[in-house]
Amino acid sequence: MRVREWVTSFGSRVTADEATSIGTGLTLLAAAVSATLVLPLGWLVVDVFTLGSRAIDLTVAPTTMRVLVRTVALVAVVTGASVVVGVPLAVLTVQAKLPLQRFWTVVIALPLAIPSYLGAFAAVSAFGPRGALTNALAPLGVPKLPTVYGFVGAAVVLTLYTYPYVFLTTRASLLSLDASLVEAARTLNAGRWEAFKRITLPQITPGITAGALLVALYTLSDFGTPNIMRVEVFTQFIYARYNAFMRDYAALLSLQLFAVTAVILAIESRIGIDESGAYESRGNRGATTLDLGRWRYPATLLPAGIGAVAILLPIGIFGMWFLRTGPGYATGSMSFSWSYGWNSVYVSLLAAGGAILVALPIALRSAVSESVVATVADRAPYVGYATPGIVLAIALVSFSLDVVPALYKTIPLLVFAYVVRFMPQAIGPIRTSRMQVDRGLVEAARTLGRSRLAAFRSITLPLVLPGIATGAALVFLTTMKELPATLILRPLRFDTLVTYIWRVQEAGLYGQAAVPALVLVVVSGLSMAVILAQEGGRKSDQ
Amino acid sequence: MERDTRLSRRQVLGTLAAGSTAGLAGCSGLLGGGGGGGDGTEGTNGSGNVEIPALSAFRGSGALVEGRSAPGGTSIEELPNLSGSLNLYIGGGEGGIYYEFVEMLQEIYPEFQVFASSASSSSLAQTVVEEVEAGAPQADVFWSIDASSLGFVADNDAYEPLPDEVVEPVPSGFRGEDNAWVGVAGRARSIPYNTEQLSEGDVPNKVREIPNTDALRGTMGWAPTYGAFKSFVTAMRLLRGEDAAREWLVSMREAGTEQYPNEFVISSQVADGALTAGFANHYYALRVKNSRPDAPLGLAFTENDAGALVNVAGALRIEGTEKGELVNNFVRHLLSSEAQEFFTTVSFAYPMISGVAPPGDLPTVDQLNPPNIDLSELSDLEPTLELMREADVLG
Repeated sequence: MRVREWVTSFGSRVTADEATSIGTGLTLLAAAVSATLVLPLGWLVVDVFTLGSRAIDLTVAPTTMRVLVRTVALVAVVTGASVVVGVPLAVLTVQAKLPLQRFWTVVIALPLAIPSYLGAFAAVSAFGPRGALTNALAPLGVPKLPTVYGFVGAAVVLTLYTYPYVFLTTRASLLSLDASLVEAARTLNAGRWEAFKRITLPQITPGITAGALLVALYTLSDFGTPNIMRVEVFTQFIYARYNAFMRDYAALLSLQLFAVTAVILAIESRIGIDESGAYESRGNRGATTLDLGRWRYPATLLPAGIGAVAILLPIGIFGMWFLRTGPGYATGSMSFSWSYGWNSVYVSLLAAGGAILVALPIALRSAVSESVVATVADRAPYVGYATPGIVLAIALVSFSLDVVPALYKTIPLLVFAYVVRFMPQAIGPIRTSRMQVDRGLVEAARTLGRSRLAAFRSITLPLVLPGIATGAALVFLTTMKELPATLILRPLRFDTLVTYIWRVQEAGLYGQAAVPALVLVVVSGLSMAVILAQEGGRKSDQ
Repeated sequence: MERDTRLSRRQVLGTLAAGSTAGLAGCSGLLGGGGGGGDGTEGTNGSGNVEIPALSAFRGSGALVEGRSAPGGTSIEELPNLSGSLNLYIGGGEGGIYYEFVEMLQEIYPEFQVFASSASSSSLAQTVVEEVEAGAPQADVFWSIDASSLGFVADNDAYEPLPDEVVEPVPSGFRGEDNAWVGVAGRARSIPYNTEQLSEGDVPNKVREIPNTDALRGTMGWAPTYGAFKSFVTAMRLLRGEDAAREWLVSMREAGTEQYPNEFVISSQVADGALTAGFANHYYALRVKNSRPDAPLGLAFTENDAGALVNVAGALRIEGTEKGELVNNFVRHLLSSEAQEFFTTVSFAYPMISGVAPPGDLPTVDQLNPPNIDLSELSDLEPTLELMREADVLG
């Protein structure tokens, strides 16, 4: 430990001057990028001015406050539950040898590929009054299941489809963890729990917080799930007003939502503040340190159970929709076209590429700097992530119409919206992997005569590449699932899988939604393979 | 000038969208298939000859459609050909079914091309207003699935009036003031009921009596998040005042009315006997009936109150369009006998022209006794949401 500290401090001493000059440039770039991303949201403020003094009355109205409290409570519960579910599963799949380990890893990550609103539909179709399971259980003497609707139901569904964020980020941290440190602690007579608490936990905390932040912001901005589960949260409140010709009121509520985001970001930055422990040397990474013995078989019940509820249940429900007879009329434009799948993939790839380009400077900078500007530049993009798609779409519609009409309803604007929304998902993994790059290595390369760029290319880039791949895959798959912004901002006659699912569902044609829903899950599932495959590559590095 | 550059951008965009949705063209080819052979009639007016499919191609299929008489009104054959490109905003949901007719028109007229964008009607209405205010309208026609959205655009002066000869076949109650818009398909509020559990006489002819009707207590379903339901509550508020509307909602909720995500589900549940009755637009029950002719499902209508509201899907010409003539001609096509037969037999909407019979054995619109209400006023939703929230009915 002492040696490592010494090397690290030596490294930073050598480069202090140089770092300042590159640092400033990078910080300014990061700040500029963040500002561009946040700018269109400023248009919401303009919209709110049309409300005049009514804005204040509406802000402090008791109904608004009730919605606020309920929203915050939902965010807290889902985030907490995701950590409780995600972290042990990550530890289990990385450090314990489960039978079929690779398979279970995929299963646990897979719920992320399913839009939570489809999960909610499945839950309601199965457990709701006269749902499939309720009906199946009735003859067995179970007259009534507890209601799926309401706060608890929404929290369960949201947790089931968002915990993989925590799982994946924690897993990434665990995989690059220096296991020799844990072993050292164990040889020094620390118990297993003690070693976990003192060595492992501090090192994976940034990963956990990164994942928890994504969960919290997803929950805050999700509209579909609370809507289906009948919990009135901010997004639902906004959506109802938006659909009732009250865009300015919707804009006001959106600004309140931003205030909540700011609070969440502040909390996250307090937890994640001590990252000194996260700098790592290349050691015996990701080694198995948890021997469950015979317990490894019952332990698989955990991923199996979650997989059954989060994946098999919706697939079963889609299958049921598919087989059930439809309302019985010809369906021309309502019939499925494979081009919707291609459109989804196309914009998602563009979004992933764009997000990486933007996230890279921000993530690299924020991983190594503690300046205020860098911190702000790091946090600002999260505002976009917390913005409900529908609100961002409203802001971009008025922004583009007022400022750049040439961009209105074009693919570039749609992709811009995705980048604003989802880029923070790329920042997290890149930042985490960057923090784990041993500065000493970079310095060694520099002292051996490599230029700054060459050192970056040969040392830093290969090490952050897994972070980049994870980030790109996360952006890709959330873009695949995004609904409201796509609906409003897509060019004329440009349908994607989710806009199609939305259309047929609105028309009550559930059967038609089954195939695209399954295609969506499969394609998103493939992007999950990217995330897990690059982990495999990293392991075989050793 | 500026308009021109935008149009060319739009064309580029359209080509891009058309290229990437090439699969769609394949689908729409299936549609014309029914009448594409020898039974078509040659149209002679306009620039080129076009083949208009036989009436059967415009008809849906199923139990409710068989044996219908030929529709009256103006046939497509008598209308000028459509040519050129049109940008269309079309409301989601039902709009998906209406759009099939647009695809048929594109099949019929090779030189006619439509670029459509679909979102919820109210969202599109606000988009239209914003675009017109910014001087950058993107679409030429707005085809909404409800009158409140049309009323919103009209109130904000983002329309151009339609000529008298276009709107003339439609009764005045289903047109906007100043010919701002015209209804093309009707959507009646109704009470689907299970015929094994109730007879038609058990359903009161006033919605206000429903909470006090023992046979219906705790056995009904509704979908308060659905736009048509909110329009219904708005109508009740306009007709009877806020207090009465709120009290009605509270008493229905207290009677144990069950909430559903949409009205098709409600109608299916009633057919299955899981619910005794419900609140739904009329066509959902007809869809169930069409695929399950034996389902014990009846439709009751109240009289002269919000429960009998007839809302419409309608078309509006957007201010600033350069395609005014094409828009007029397009709307005339929507009111042709073929189009009206299509809307009536495929989406089971109420026809808007007198020569076409209502779907199934439903009463005609004149026999329905809808309340006397200006449909455009249904866009005043804010007080409605407020009272729904006060009644603890989540909208």
